[in-house]
Amino acid sequence: MFQLLSSLKQHKRLLADFVGRDLKARYVGSSMGFFWSVIFPIVNLFVFMFVFRFLLKARWGEVSEKETALIMLCGILVWGAFSETVTRSTNCLVENSNLIQKVVFPAEILPVYLATSSVVNMLIGMPVVILGCWVFGESGPGASVVMVPLILFLQVLFTVGLGYLLTTLNLFLRDTFHLVGVGVQVWMFATPIFYPAQMVADAKVMLPDWLSFLSNMPNVHPVVKETGLPRDLLSEEGGYFSLNWMLEINPMHWLIDAWRDVIIFNQWPDPANLFRFGVVAILTFCLGAAFFRSQQRKFPDLL
Amino acid sequence: MASSIDTRPNKTAGGDLGAIQARDLGKVYRIYDKPMQRLVDTLTRSTKRGREFWALRGVYLDIAKGSTVGIIGENGAGKSTLLKLISGITIPTTGDVQVQGRITSLIELGAGFHPEFSGRENIGLACSILGISGEERDELTPAIIEFSELGDFIDRPVKTYSSGMYVRLGFSVATCVNPDVLLIDEALSVGDEHFRGKCLNRLNDFRDKGGTTVFVSHDMGSIKTMCQHVILIDKGEVIEQGTPEKVSDEYLKRVKARGNEQKMSMLHRGTADYPRWGTGEIEVEDVQLLGGDGKSSLVFETGELFVIRLIYKVHEDCNDPVFGIGLYRSDGTYVNGSNHHWRHQPIEMGEVKAGETGEVDMAMGALPLLEGQYYLTTFLYDHSKASPTAIDHREHVATFQILDPDHHQHGILKLPTAWAIRRSLPNEDEVTNLESGA
Repeated sequence: MFQLLSSLKQHKRLLADFVGRDLKARYVGSSMGFFWSVIFPIVNLFVFMFVFRFLLKARWGEVSEKETALIMLCGILVWGAFSETVTRSTNCLVENSNLIQKVVFPAEILPVYLATSSVVNMLIGMPVVILGCWVFGESGPGASVVMVPLILFLQVLFTVGLGYLLTTLNLFLRDTFHLVGVGVQVWMFATPIFYPAQMVADAKVMLPDWLSFLSNMPNVHPVVKETGLPRDLLSEEGGYFSLNWMLEINPMHWLIDAWRDVIIFNQWPDPANLFRFGVVAILTFCLGAAFFRSQQRKFPDLL
Repeated sequence: MASSIDTRPNKTAGGDLGAIQARDLGKVYRIYDKPMQRLVDTLTRSTKRGREFWALRGVYLDIAKGSTVGIIGENGAGKSTLLKLISGITIPTTGDVQVQGRITSLIELGAGFHPEFSGRENIGLACSILGISGEERDELTPAIIEFSELGDFIDRPVKTYSSGMYVRLGFSVATCVNPDVLLIDEALSVGDEHFRGKCLNRLNDFRDKGGTTVFVSHDMGSIKTMCQHVILIDKGEVIEQGTPEKVSDEYLKRVKARGNEQKMSMLHRGTADYPRWGTGEIEVEDVQLLGGDGKSSLVFETGELFVIRLIYKVHEDCNDPVFGIGLYRSDGTYVNGSNHHWRHQPIEMGEVKAGETGEVDMAMGALPLLEGQYYLTTFLYDHSKASPTAIDHREHVATFQILDPDHHQHGILKLPTAWAIRRSLPNEDEVTNLESGA
């Protein structure tokens, strides 16, 4: 592990080259260049306002409609950086096989540079959220922004750890790349980005009889059972299946919540969630980096 | 076989400090039918699910500083694996290899370049990978750009480069960064004559300054001109090593033997895969290629006796059949076409009857073809009519290979050239004549 970190330090010039090159590649050839990183979130903001406010009439609990769009935008920026890194990292060894197979190349920098590049892109978009907060008269960031470096660090740690794990796995099973594409999509909709977390906490699925063993909530309408009403009205019989656990196992929910607290609500992030995220991030990084390191010598042969 | 012989080379000339030392170097690739099996093996730390493939086994090397060593072998012999092991790209399964100093390699066209990066950025990338930074990097970059002669292209992405440009940039980077050991894998075969000459000069300078070069090729000619010591690899093992002359004989022998192993299959492929047409009164049943030793072969040496023999069978009576042969180089260049009719002394066969069989020989006293792959087409035409019609025309009947032990001439044909130089020296009245006849 320390070897990995020291190697990253040793190759920081190379890392900087890659990040700079990648950021440039996003904008090279476009006349607006760097501004696309700002324009994109602005357009997103208006799209969210239009779709969720005018068409779906969605509201984010107690907050105003304008803020709803800002909350979504903040979520999607964080999610975008995460999913982009994970997807690109998974394929990074295969994509750079020319380097890995033909020269002695420190492959460990690849997921790190991808994460850094995405995070920089995300940070360029964040001022749009902050500006939106001021324009629409919301609180915006306050003293709690001091937490940003910590949140950012943990986010990179988590993302890079997943990247190490998946890119190594992808050398053994090339299906990993496609699986990750699908998985990231499912994960995005399972994460409270376009809906408040409370909705998930409140949601419950009615279970048919044969699935009643899955029930993780007590039967809420025992009365119905006693009165002997017709069977089709007794669909609660099997009990409910609460979706609350989805929030309890989703580190991305904790991360996005922390960002929203800091950037939009001028609140300190929930310490329990942040702590949980930190533990998961460190564990993921250690696991991913260990797997990556253990196989790294074989990379040229596996490609 | 080689594992039993002592394959340790004698120390090559040029100093007692070894630049590259390998001891019992071996590399196993594990082959799995299903990728899942590889993953399970990896996770359980076992090896039972895969098959072993030894790409290289039991190699000892002792390459002295300042020497130029050639590694020769046919495709798949393990040359590239050896280079990758020396350069440290892959890890050996057995033994170890030690290299003193900075290694650069030209392993493949565009190897180590990032296609999206510009030439200049790739120079930076290469420097970073080699651990060159700061002042040295700033100093080297202009030198590299200048040597590569890429001009404005240096700031365009390398994916837009032609193969010649790739080689130029690759060669410039590999030689300008002051390496101690330079590994080259056939990379010099691309590029124009001008740049090739420049490269050769650069390599000579490099050697004179005490640099060590390892040169991999299957072209005996370039190995001979470059190296003092040659190592022959076959099926992952060192077969022979020593002076270029000694090793090249063994190499030619092996290539010949291998060529003949494939003989039957190649002849048969010739009839199945390429067009054949004609009225069919006479059939060219077989084509044999005979060398100087009178034996049928598919590999020949420039300058030896060479006979193409057509074996025919007549099915129906006909008049004035003429056999011909067309020779082509593997790239389709039509080298020569001839028959026994269009000659100062034509052979006329007249009437032939059903049931007749025979052989037609076309001989060349000294085969003039230079090294390369060639194929032949046989023509059998009826010349009794105003315009000859095909009786049995067979395209691409046989493929054969020519090796040139001398490598004195290049191109398709060996020509009987004579050279003369007349020197008028300033202080002497007489003209000195130097001559070299045909």
